Amino acid sequence: MLFNSLGFFLFLPVVLVVFWKLSERWRWTWLLLASYGFYASFSPFNLLYLGPVTIVTLLLGQALSREVSDRKRRFLLAAGLVATIGSLIVFKFYDFLAGEIERLIISWRPSTSPIVLPRLGVTAPAGYSFFAFMAASYLIDTYRRKIETKLRIQDVALYIAYFPKILAGPIERATGFLPQMKVGGVIDAALFTQGLQLIGLGLVKKVVIADNLAPFVDKTFKISAYASPIDLLMSVYFFAFQIYCDFSGYTDIAIGVSLLFGIRLMENFRRPYLAKSTTEFWSQRWHISLSRWFRDYLYIPLSGSKAGEFRRYVNIMLVFVVSGLWHAGLGYGVGWTFLVWGALNGAYQWASFATRPFRDRLAEKMPAVSASLALRIARISVTFHLILFSWIFFRAQSIDEALLVIGKIWSALPGMPALAVRYPFTNEQLLGVLMILLLLAFEILDERRSIWDRLSRAPIALRWAAYYAGIFSLLILGRWQAKEFIYMQF
Amino acid sequence: MNDQSQPSDFRRSRFLLFLGVGALLYLIAFLVAERLVYVTGHSNPIFKIDTESEQEFDWVILGASHAMPLDFDGFNQRMRQETGLRIINLAGPGTGPLYNKFVLEHFLRRHATRNVLYATDSFAFNLSQWNEERLTDPKLLARTPYSLPLAINLGRYVVQGRADPRALLDYATGFSKINNSDRLKPDVWEGEAQFDRVFKPSAIADRKRVDYLYPSMSDDAVAVARYLGDFAALRKIVQDHGARMAIIKMPLPAPFYKLLPRETDFDQAMDDVSKAESLIFRDFSQSMIDPRFYSDTDHLNRSGVSTFFSDYLKALLMSPTN
Repeated sequence: MLFNSLGFFLFLPVVLVVFWKLSERWRWTWLLLASYGFYASFSPFNLLYLGPVTIVTLLLGQALSREVSDRKRRFLLAAGLVATIGSLIVFKFYDFLAGEIERLIISWRPSTSPIVLPRLGVTAPAGYSFFAFMAASYLIDTYRRKIETKLRIQDVALYIAYFPKILAGPIERATGFLPQMKVGGVIDAALFTQGLQLIGLGLVKKVVIADNLAPFVDKTFKISAYASPIDLLMSVYFFAFQIYCDFSGYTDIAIGVSLLFGIRLMENFRRPYLAKSTTEFWSQRWHISLSRWFRDYLYIPLSGSKAGEFRRYVNIMLVFVVSGLWHAGLGYGVGWTFLVWGALNGAYQWASFATRPFRDRLAEKMPAVSASLALRIARISVTFHLILFSWIFFRAQSIDEALLVIGKIWSALPGMPALAVRYPFTNEQLLGVLMILLLLAFEILDERRSIWDRLSRAPIALRWAAYYAGIFSLLILGRWQAKEFIYMQF
Repeated sequence: MNDQSQPSDFRRSRFLLFLGVGALLYLIAFLVAERLVYVTGHSNPIFKIDTESEQEFDWVILGASHAMPLDFDGFNQRMRQETGLRIINLAGPGTGPLYNKFVLEHFLRRHATRNVLYATDSFAFNLSQWNEERLTDPKLLARTPYSLPLAINLGRYVVQGRADPRALLDYATGFSKINNSDRLKPDVWEGEAQFDRVFKPSAIADRKRVDYLYPSMSDDAVAVARYLGDFAALRKIVQDHGARMAIIKMPLPAPFYKLLPRETDFDQAMDDVSKAESLIFRDFSQSMIDPRFYSDTDHLNRSGVSTFFSDYLKALLMSPTN
């Protein structure tokens, strides 16, 4: 029952109407049951993963809030992190690492008979990463005494299982989510309208843009060895927008659906491809909830930037490598490409920090140049292409494939304009380019002033035209057959 | 004046106006999409029925994709010329007896036939994928012209539990047509585009194709019995309309045929049916085993269709039963 399925369009109104009809006392229990139903709709066995994580979180959370001994509290937290993050690591990497160890042993001592390590043979279900991270965040915040001690069990269970965010976030914090339970689900016309607008926008991003770009990207990467450089280059650009629209589309729908129940989820994307630096991209614009999770629960505990320059650089790289590994999963497999992707983005941050004094001096000496539109466009363009380059490792099935794609594009780059003139663009490709341009125009407008604000003040004919354009683009251009959102597989 | 400060009656009427304009726009999209179905239509069996001007036929050909080459690139016209018979080919890709029954019912509502030739395939008697799910298939629905009797019949299938309600919803709203990304392309099945190709035998391709047609889960006796039941219902319809039925198995290349699972069981079932009802049953599956007659793993190419028609099918079509 994905957000883009008929099943969900039937499920949501039923859950919503019952939610509205119920007294405040029962609303959250109903929402919890609906969330379990939603998650079980993918497979009833999913509850076998969600259930233990919830129970462990509840038990350890309560024990943490009651316990006074620091030593015991540390032990309880460690147990909770092993159960949540530890299980995630095992599900994601154990089988992969067992295979790598076997290969290593064979290459090291080829004469010995091959060692076969036992395998788990199972992977965590969709969304496990997300609710495991939320459970861990709840335990850490309880340990840090940031969370109120007298909480209702069903509220904490709902925090972990809440259906709009269970598959792919945002990785909500208990400190932001649980206080909203006390209000009892405010039903507000403005919130409701905002929710519907976000659902519509999210569907357009996912079903119209991402899923129309996906077939060409998939086809080209599948035959990367035989694909022409121009096809590869185009598919790399297309992938950058596919993954953005797929993931931010999911998030928009999740936030929009949640608003219908009067619950605000945190912002997860803020027009990322308009970032002027990779630091800004990661800290303020792309998958913000994950970046902040790593900042608060990994980077800062590692002493962040307070333990000297060297430690700061090490910590940054560590955070990005771990973030890279987190992305390994069902989607594009578990491989070393994610490590490279993480390390590459870590290296971008190094470069950004290392050159900051120089850039600051330049800005001081030439403030007009520094504030110019041309420089801003240049910075956005450079940042975008650095991120674009890293996406190749993200999308490729192996490092060899990524290098092949880069090599083929690089060697053909000087002749690319001439190739493009003769290239027989298909209607699908032209549609893809057009959609990307429209999306960029939309985001540039939104960056300057919120598109929703503009719409609310626009004449009614213009507002309706925008709504009809969205609805009919979904009907006419939408691809409704997609069986997944990319990020739910991480 | 913002939305909240406006009277609720005003807001309600404005909302209804929004819905009304939306419905009107949808109707326009529906009509344009329907028109495009006729502009680009070609191989969809319902399209063929609705656009066929002749009323009476000597033969209706039913079956899955293996029977489709008999109508590729105007070959049906050649068969008509050489036999003097009025023939219409209503075979569809991946369609089993349930979908073929649905097509035949629609055909007989507008036309008549003296004979029905059913080209059977064992795979089509195994899975809902080739039967119930074909009724919901957006690719087929996108090319199926709208008609009220067809919608009513589809509704009957839904009531009987043989079609997903989504099929009726889709057909009635024309969603798959409005949403068809190939709306401007002619409805030419991929097999027809390679009608002149000669297939280079490939064990891997054969294995992949058989795995696709016969997924491992298809070992379901209940399902087979259900689709044999649909086939019996189809024969009953033919009989009730005073027509005769002949069953054939289309030729297949030897390496592909060898991979087919439980083919003898299926042959036995067809043999039993034909004997019990005194029907003609011709098994041509091993009559043309040379790969040069095929455009891919299992579909006849132009040379194969030509040979099959002149050496085998022509005699059957012109047999004294006509």
